Amino acid sequence: MDTVDFWVESWTAGDLTAARRLLTPDVEAEWNFDAPVDDEELLQVLSRVAAFADRVELVARTDAVDGAALIYDLAAPFGTARLVEFLAVDAGSISEIRHVYDVTAVDRFFPGLYAN
Amino acid sequence: MKREVHLVGGTRPEAVKLAPVALAVREAGLLEPVLLAGGPDPATVGRALAAFGLEPDISLTVERGTGSRDELLIAMVRELDELWSVRTPAAVIVQGDTTASMAGALAAFWRRIPVVHLEAGLRSGDLGSSSSEEANRRLVAQVATLHLAPTPLAAMNLLDEKIAHTDVLITGNTVVDATLAMAARRMPFETALLREREASPNRLVLVTAHRRESQGEPLDRILDAVKQLIARYPDIDVVLPGHPNPAVRGQVDAALAGVERVTITGPLPYPDRSRLLSEAYLVLTDSAGVQEEAPSFGVPALVLRDVSERAGSPTAGCAKLVGSDTARIVEEASALLDSRVRRDAMTAGGNPYGDGLAARRTAQATAALLGLAPAPEAMPVGANVVTSGAAA
Repeated sequence: MDTVDFWVESWTAGDLTAARRLLTPDVEAEWNFDAPVDDEELLQVLSRVAAFADRVELVARTDAVDGAALIYDLAAPFGTARLVEFLAVDAGSISEIRHVYDVTAVDRFFPGLYAN
Repeated sequence: MKREVHLVGGTRPEAVKLAPVALAVREAGLLEPVLLAGGPDPATVGRALAAFGLEPDISLTVERGTGSRDELLIAMVRELDELWSVRTPAAVIVQGDTTASMAGALAAFWRRIPVVHLEAGLRSGDLGSSSSEEANRRLVAQVATLHLAPTPLAAMNLLDEKIAHTDVLITGNTVVDATLAMAARRMPFETALLREREASPNRLVLVTAHRRESQGEPLDRILDAVKQLIARYPDIDVVLPGHPNPAVRGQVDAALAGVERVTITGPLPYPDRSRLLSEAYLVLTDSAGVQEEAPSFGVPALVLRDVSERAGSPTAGCAKLVGSDTARIVEEASALLDSRVRRDAMTAGGNPYGDGLAARRTAQATAALLGLAPAPEAMPVGANVVTSGAAA
């Protein structure tokens, strides 16, 4: 199983310990929420998604030489929000994570997901 | 050497709306426009661009298996990423809410290339479907650097989603530029059936009903209304461009073939469509594009839908939602056919979708984003010029 597969399996199962092990010590984290982010905060949000969502579905994955772009549908009880995740992978570890959420849908269907 | 700006189009409407931008970027001379044709049918994009004297600079070959939107998205992102990893543009321009737009925006964002979003800020308010155009609109907005809104309402939608006001510019819709430029050429009709009715002194009513939700019973009701209007008004001709779907075409033929003063054509080339629109007295349509273009020619539109994400024209009075109820369509169309004053009054406020200068604003805003020009002024709101006929 490659790094990206292992990452997806880990966080969607709520296994933060396994997910954390895939990150380089100086991993860069970005997201489009109006709130500060670092790797730990990003992992905490993913953990809440995994716990609260009825289902997390990986709907698309595009691989590049240096990483992957993934699209997830996060199904909550009252609706679905989409997440696009860009990963940079270096020597089997994730050195950069960028998250683009459909913020309007997240605010509606995953209230309180992030602190702002 | 000028830096490149890549314009990504995957459908015919995207190509039509991007073509004036490519021409304006080239005319400004600050950047080199590169047209990318992708999506399910790059040949369609090529044909639409040809009407403007353009052709795709790069056609993306997308292999399809299941034909799903997600598959297309994955394939396009991969193709674009490979292209941009070796040929990185200074900026990428995407248009609207299609899978091609989404792919262009995501691939550019991935490579940290600034994304300029045309027709930004349209919202239907349908949060329920994750795979809908609405989800694409919202996600493209999240990765775009510059949001070019066609109307003030679209700009307000973006501000409501906490997009910084400094990143939003009201430009108008470039489809207005496209249709005005095309109609002004007054090219002879390519379609033989249109040439045959060209000399008719009758008033022209253009009818388009192509949306999926119009098919079946709604289309029958619409066609019944057309028959009643033809019977009631001996001084009108109806032109109805047919749908490529054989079943829909069959439904139209069954209802109207052989009816006097009704011309049923195949799908029209864009120049024919624009010229026809410029000469129409009235339009009955379920098309968002026609709804946006018609007011530029002083032509009111009766919209054969119950709801529309283009709230601008009903709000401005140049279009009216009438749905597909036969009696309602006949009643509303008759009111406008009976009174030229009432018909003209609908478009007296101009076209809320644009003044024909959207492409120039887009070109300048893109150059400004890259530090090559001052930022353009936004489209004046409430002072749009009404242009009528092909002289516009």
